[in-house]
Amino acid sequence: MSTIEEFVAASAILPIEVEMSAGDQPMRLLYGTPGFIVWLDEIVNGAEPKSRLGEATPAEQIDDLFHAFLLGRPLVYTRQFRAIRAEKNAVWELKTPDIRIFGWFLKKDCFVGVFGNWADQVKDHDLYRGYRIAIRRLRRELGVDDNLCVQGVSPGDVVSF
Amino acid sequence: MTSFHFDIGSRARQAGRFIGRVRGELLRALSEKRAEAGFSQQALAQKLDVHRSLINRQFSGEVPLTLRSIADLAWAMDLEISFELKKPTARIGQNQPATTTTIEHGRIRFIDGGIKRNSIPAVPENWQPPQAKKSA
Repeated sequence: MSTIEEFVAASAILPIEVEMSAGDQPMRLLYGTPGFIVWLDEIVNGAEPKSRLGEATPAEQIDDLFHAFLLGRPLVYTRQFRAIRAEKNAVWELKTPDIRIFGWFLKKDCFVGVFGNWADQVKDHDLYRGYRIAIRRLRRELGVDDNLCVQGVSPGDVVSF
Repeated sequence: MTSFHFDIGSRARQAGRFIGRVRGELLRALSEKRAEAGFSQQALAQKLDVHRSLINRQFSGEVPLTLRSIADLAWAMDLEISFELKKPTARIGQNQPATTTTIEHGRIRFIDGGIKRNSIPAVPENWQPPQAKKSA
């Protein structure tokens, strides 16, 4: 049976942190694959979509989403996260006005990001199926057991409110 | 163990988290109204005499929220607005800014980009829980 620590030790996934204020207490865990970290780095360095919808920059949107997630704040189902397809070992999407992040929940309140992209590109080119298949393939290659994949597809199965 | 620190600077961080907090508060309020009284975006749009798609885009963050639009949405949901600017305050016993999560870790580990530090036990090694005093 594989563990999160083993995947982290093998650098298959890395913990992701955001700046916390004094008094903030992280209640959830966030990880990313090396490819996802490279994408995040591009966002930090100012990458922008062709036409931005949100008032905040993409980097600000992601910082706020990660901060809210890590602090254990309630997330609004379908507005901020949703399962791509109601199935066992589902692939999940985290959302901001301009960003879509695809990954899965290793455990309840423990998400690993695999792909990120602009929301308009994902919608215009209908990339959901491709990302879903790619993530399922990655999990197989990594040898992710069922114990490191939340089975349920209800919002309460993956995040505490 | 290494980690990725998503740091966008304090100015951007404050702006993004403020915008996110306002939007999150509106989403939470609408969700509660819906659960309480079946209040929908359609009802909100009718009350404000605007198209439902505008309300939807405002809640999804796809159009900027002006102070007036926030006030209008609050009015339509029969809610008051509270807004305050204050100095950051330090309180006794307040956590220091966290460098990593402590969930599911018996020991607190510091992750700071490869600089090795000794792990700090969450409690002293010889620590014993205090015995409950029997009341007379």
